[in-house]
Amino acid sequence: MWIFGTRFRRRNADGEKRKDMSSATRESVLAALKTVQDPELHKDIVTLGMVKDLAVADGRVSLTVELTTPACPLKDKIKGDVEQALAPLGVSDLALEFGAQVRGSKSGAGTTDLLPSVENIVLVASGKGGVGKSTVAANLAVALKMHGASVGLLDADIYGPSAPMLMGVTEEPAKVPVDDGFKLAPPVAHGLPVMSIGFFLEPDQAVIWRGPMLGKALQQLMGDVHWGELDYLVVDMPPGTGDVQITFSQQLKCSGALLVATPQDVALADVVRAKSMFDKVHIPIVGMVENMSYFVCDGCGKQHEIFSRGGARRAAERFGVPFLGEVPMVSQIREWGDKGVPIVVQDPGSETAQAFLEAAARLAGQLSIASAATRKAPDLRIVTS
Amino acid sequence: MAVPVEINHVKARGVVRITWDDGHAGEYAREYLRGYCPCALCQGHGAAAEKRFVEAPGVELDAIEPVGNYAVGFRWSDGHATGIYTFDYLRSLCPCSECEKANP
Repeated sequence: MWIFGTRFRRRNADGEKRKDMSSATRESVLAALKTVQDPELHKDIVTLGMVKDLAVADGRVSLTVELTTPACPLKDKIKGDVEQALAPLGVSDLALEFGAQVRGSKSGAGTTDLLPSVENIVLVASGKGGVGKSTVAANLAVALKMHGASVGLLDADIYGPSAPMLMGVTEEPAKVPVDDGFKLAPPVAHGLPVMSIGFFLEPDQAVIWRGPMLGKALQQLMGDVHWGELDYLVVDMPPGTGDVQITFSQQLKCSGALLVATPQDVALADVVRAKSMFDKVHIPIVGMVENMSYFVCDGCGKQHEIFSRGGARRAAERFGVPFLGEVPMVSQIREWGDKGVPIVVQDPGSETAQAFLEAAARLAGQLSIASAATRKAPDLRIVTS
Repeated sequence: MAVPVEINHVKARGVVRITWDDGHAGEYAREYLRGYCPCALCQGHGAAAEKRFVEAPGVELDAIEPVGNYAVGFRWSDGHATGIYTFDYLRSLCPCSECEKANP
């Protein structure tokens, strides 16, 4: 559980007088809190079980709102709504804390859960290569971490495993004893465990594997790796709709897919294919990110929309999938990526890093929604009678 | 799109009864399900509009296995097990009189 330092008290000028008049009881406070909706889950925070440690005494109220993600983009809105709901009760002193308990959103009936200690698994996918999927995956993973979540990064891009380079990993995975056997401990970079299929390949050698080999390798990268307790595992997928995607859709549990696209028509045509594949196998699309949206000239400061900005946003609207943000094309992303430092770490105040941090918060929000949907859906029962 | 909530292999009657989340239910005879196996061995790689029917008289159903979020696989007593029946495909095969009328 993550506790934020966001503690605030509100005392009216006539606080003492109001305190005597207060009619607040535990019941009336709960009833008032029932009018506060989680803006994303569209249910009240009492029914959702988000109100914890509620104490009411002498007009003083203290409570913790347990968010479904530490990266909650709507914390301020919830705070304002709680204050507003409790105002008519004459509460003289309100102590509101935020906590977060990330809820799981994985689905996949036919599959053993290789990672029971990981709550959410997001596949970062694209229709074609070269759209910056690995860069987006690495920066989003680190951004989720910066929001306070525990996060891992799994590089499943067999054709071009680049996470070790982007994250600046130099060490190899180590063997650790677990229970009665061994598991691989992933190297840690920028606070995140990072595992890549690239660790097991000879440098500069191509992978010439067919489906069953890939499936087995992926299962090992998940099940045989000591990931520990994670809120989010971000998976950098190979481009397209091939064997790794099929393995995930048939054999491994995951929460949903995030599509990365560049805005030009020819690239969006391929994203439609990726979307259609995930639709067919009932893996929800949790969002779309537009990369290389625009280029800001470092000479004149003018924005150049090289690939015609906004294409992915329009496509997301057409598909009815959440649009998570636009990432500009700046040379620092490439420069620091090559040095193994994601831009969100190197320059968190920059426009680019802010775009990633906001996209990560929106992604976390979408996963909370997916989690609520997963728990509502009945499991498929297979019986013989 | 409807998804099944229960797939019940009623051995005594040789049928598979599928109940859907929209309340619909249908009973599929084992030979009928085996006959319309969607795998490439049974259907070929072409995009033929008409599904081929593979005769397998007296075939038994050994196991039903879920496949991801979207399909199930059936293991038949003749050793065949390569068909991945998506939920949408299963629904389109529903032999109940209501579906027959709507989609003859």
